Amino acid sequence: MENILEVKNLCKKYKGFELQNVNITLPKGMIMGFIGENGAGKTTTIKAILDIIKNYTGEIKIFGLDNRKEDKKIKEDIGVVLDDMFFPEILTPNDINTIMKNIYKNWDSQLYFKYLNDFTLPNNKPIKTLSKGMRKKLEIATAISHHPKLLILDEPTAGLDPIARNEVIDIFQNFIQNEECSIFISTHITTDLEHIADYITFINNGKIVLSKNREELLEEYGILKCSQEEFEKIDKKDFIKYKKNKYQYDVLVENIKEFNKKYQVNTIDKITLEELMILMVKGEK
Amino acid sequence: MLGFIKKDLLMIKSNIKILVILLFIYVIMAFQGQMDLSFLIPFISVMIMMSTFSYDTFNKWEAYAVTLPNGRKNSVKAKYLATIILISITTIIIAILSFIISYAKTNIIDFENIIGTTFGSLFATILLQSLIYPAMYKFGPEKARIGLMVIIFSVAIIGGFIANYIDLSAVIKILEYIGAYWIIIFTIAMILMLYVSYKISEKIYFKKEF
Repeated sequence: MENILEVKNLCKKYKGFELQNVNITLPKGMIMGFIGENGAGKTTTIKAILDIIKNYTGEIKIFGLDNRKEDKKIKEDIGVVLDDMFFPEILTPNDINTIMKNIYKNWDSQLYFKYLNDFTLPNNKPIKTLSKGMRKKLEIATAISHHPKLLILDEPTAGLDPIARNEVIDIFQNFIQNEECSIFISTHITTDLEHIADYITFINNGKIVLSKNREELLEEYGILKCSQEEFEKIDKKDFIKYKKNKYQYDVLVENIKEFNKKYQVNTIDKITLEELMILMVKGEK
Repeated sequence: MLGFIKKDLLMIKSNIKILVILLFIYVIMAFQGQMDLSFLIPFISVMIMMSTFSYDTFNKWEAYAVTLPNGRKNSVKAKYLATIILISITTIIIAILSFIISYAKTNIIDFENIIGTTFGSLFATILLQSLIYPAMYKFGPEKARIGLMVIIFSVAIIGGFIANYIDLSAVIKILEYIGAYWIIIFTIAMILMLYVSYKISEKIYFKKEF
């Protein structure tokens, strides 16, 4: 399968934080959810992919091309939403159309105004008068109106109410109908990913701790809720992390079937991405 | 790249009401003889363009601009080209107003004087912007604004010192020697200043992280 995004051994050092050998592979036609707590390195990784930050080591290829050498070619086919708002507030959505049609070769004004209409966004109001959610929708409409092949989205649903989030997720799902297109999406709102992501990559403290097919992940990983007595019988190498709660232990298990076979327990629940994230970050070993 | 230029011009357009009011006040002051209009070119142009840098930084546009095709290169190039467009427009407006004011007040149009002062101001504008743009990219608009004040005060103090204590006859002799060629020499100097400034800004911007 052809890869649309490949990150190999990406390293970047800051005072007090370091990205360490980050490896990511996103095949064509897929959606990858990039999860991790605040400050784990999601935005830094995205900024390196987009060449917003410099002085990193490693190799980043988009559409098989080096992200630093083939910058122009690559960026014609990428749609981006960053975590911070980025449009000048005194401009209007109409102005954004005027600007973008002179930047992207494939800018589709008709499609852009269709999205504005679908999102009930005003054309002529300054961006500063729009709510946070409306601005996010405007950024998303802009990101997809030049028919990109890859969307790189940093927290695109942050600040959106559940209805707007649903609309946005639908748009992403429509976008991916074209098998040439892919999405790399970082988010805190892991429930969004449980329905749309094909792959989940989890970053913690600047390191990739897990990268897997979403269905396999949610099928294989489980959470055992047990008493202290039961917990003490489990071999350390048979679980990934555990968290001691008030009345019970939550134990993160990597392979439900094998665990069941060995310990004959039937109380392993399927895990959600949120539980996985919490246990991976807050759990002990 | 046209998109980047349009972005700056659209941002300026959004503040056009304030600019027109300012210009109106200055024209009235010029009519009353309280202000020489030609000196407004540096002031207005620098203020307008500095506001676009501030908007870019405040709205975190720069990081996004880098994600657009040829974003780093075009951002810098567009800023310089938008400046040239803006300076050309303000120069023409100020020159026309100066002619009108001169004629209204004295019934005579002093071509030589108006062209001389307008060109002098144009030179000062280009010099100021050539110095300030790399600083804008390197240190950001807030620090660069302080730098701008320092430059203006330094030039005023050093200029005052030179005028008071140094014999300027040599400079006057050079200017007399240049004679009619001064427009060509100053034009070349302006182009060179802008080019060198652009190259420095480009180098700074290419290494910059957002």
